[in-house]
Amino acid sequence: MADKKVLVVDDEIHIVHVVTIKLRNNGYEVISASNGQEAFDLACVELPDIIVTDYQMPVMGGIEFIENLRANESTKDIPVVMLTARSFAVEDEQKESLDIAKCLSKPFSPKELLRDIEDILFHEAVTKQV
Amino acid sequence: MNFVKLLESNRGIKVAAIAGTIAAILAAALQLISGGFVDSSNMIGVSFLLLTGLTLGWLGFYTLRLCKSVDSVANKLKDGSGYNEMNGPEVAAKLATVVNEYIQQGCEQADSLNQQINQLHIQIQLSNRQKQNTEAIIYSISDAVIVVDESDRLLMANEAAGKLFAFNHKKSQLIPIYELIQHDKKEFIEFIQKIRSTRARSKRHDLEFIEDDRLRVYDCRVSCVFDHRDMVCGVVAVLHDITREKEISQMKNDFVSHVSHELKTPLASITAYAEMLADGEADDEETRVEFYSIIQNQANRLNRLIEDILNTARIDSGLIKLDKQPVSLTVLIEEQLAMIRGFADEKNIEVVGQKPIIFDQVYVDRDMMAQVVVNLLSNAVKYTPAGGRVSIETEVDNNSDVVRVRVTDNGIGIPADDIDHVFDKFYRVGVNKKQARGTGLGLNLVKQIIEKLHNGKVFVTSKVGQGSTFGFELPIAAGEPVESSN
Repeated sequence: MADKKVLVVDDEIHIVHVVTIKLRNNGYEVISASNGQEAFDLACVELPDIIVTDYQMPVMGGIEFIENLRANESTKDIPVVMLTARSFAVEDEQKESLDIAKCLSKPFSPKELLRDIEDILFHEAVTKQV
Repeated sequence: MNFVKLLESNRGIKVAAIAGTIAAILAAALQLISGGFVDSSNMIGVSFLLLTGLTLGWLGFYTLRLCKSVDSVANKLKDGSGYNEMNGPEVAAKLATVVNEYIQQGCEQADSLNQQINQLHIQIQLSNRQKQNTEAIIYSISDAVIVVDESDRLLMANEAAGKLFAFNHKKSQLIPIYELIQHDKKEFIEFIQKIRSTRARSKRHDLEFIEDDRLRVYDCRVSCVFDHRDMVCGVVAVLHDITREKEISQMKNDFVSHVSHELKTPLASITAYAEMLADGEADDEETRVEFYSIIQNQANRLNRLIEDILNTARIDSGLIKLDKQPVSLTVLIEEQLAMIRGFADEKNIEVVGQKPIIFDQVYVDRDMMAQVVVNLLSNAVKYTPAGGRVSIETEVDNNSDVVRVRVTDNGIGIPADDIDHVFDKFYRVGVNKKQARGTGLGLNLVKQIIEKLHNGKVFVTSKVGQGSTFGFELPIAAGEPVESSN
């Protein structure tokens, strides 16, 4: 999955840092933002292949950010992985309606996150080919 | 004795007896109609009236019977039948026996009826007293109480009910409640009507009303009252204001949610960096040192949060033990500045310490005071945008013998409406919630430690968009300094 671009969004600088190192070590290009608003602006310009976002962030939270992505023609199909420190924060209905590919609870394993990203991108690639 | 005259008056006695009985029954019926079925003292009153009427009736008929017996003896004497063989004294004795028997029976029955009337009278008094007590209780409770009859007419309401539904509770009896209660509270009337139609013994429902532009929540409990025929003859409603309970419950839920989030965030960093180190993802020594440092900083952050929660609980429960000693605030602040600099550097915020002060000792619990300083500093860093500035200074006021500490930032500031509440437990400034996360415990803990445990005073000044100054003052400790500044 080399050369794929991942947007990592979290207001916790250490989380962005650790995910960035993990993904870069595995051949991904990583861009980052510290809140939903900044991330949406960046996503519209950079059109990443996948987005990893936190749930609760200042200025604009994860849910509002994804709603904006889905309402925008150029970003509406970008798969999203959500990280959340709140148990049961994202309802199944919400997850489905916003087309969130995966929800991971904090604390999370960077290894597991990488595996999920690879699975989602592989599934995306197969779907596009079909 | 002229028995013929007695006979002539028979009709009058009969009429009096029947009239007395009918009057008593009518009076009882009227009492029932006017008082309704729900009042137990009313039932006793009805019994009293009936018993009085029946007594009157019985006395009438008894007198009539006595007259008839005496009349029968007199007739027999008059026509000579049945008493031919008796002489005068024997006839008089016979008559006296008959009259005496009747009088004795009459006296016994009159005594019995008298006793029953007395007992009923006592019961009426007891019942009235019970009614007065019940009314006194209902009128004195803070919950709103409303009693309506089977036609939704108000039978009783206390002052709280009158205040809640804006009607005069003393002058509204027998007025239908849909005429008394405003349209915006019609949900309450609908609830009462629903309970009556379903004949529910007791049901509860939360009702929300807007009062003085503020939402208030009431726990409304409604019960049907049944008469002796098991028919619904009224409804009792009690409304308990649970607005505060709801707010506290919401605050507790928010607190648990925030705390869970605040605890998990540093924990997420610790586990992620530990996994990276274990998996050999840190190639060089410099990266490994960086990862160790992050783990250490996040562990400290986690510890601060846990200490905040534990100390808040300890202070609330009064179980905290203080180890007060003379402490130099200059030294203590320098130590806490070192702890907070890592956090400030992440946001590119400059943290400026104070100039050394010769004598600034205070008599405090050192760990508690460290928590105060670090909470004020981390709060300032949290609400200051990247590239901002946070400074801390200490001032000795010899006039009032206090040491004053000020933490100033050039952050987002606090709106005037919120400034009086920033030290309240769980309070978070509405417009700043999006800026940073928090539990709403940090500043409250600062206030508790300074004011409750050290007899000091906290203060705050702020301007939106320009920044804030949080601080505290403590009495200067007497004696020689025990620590020196580096």
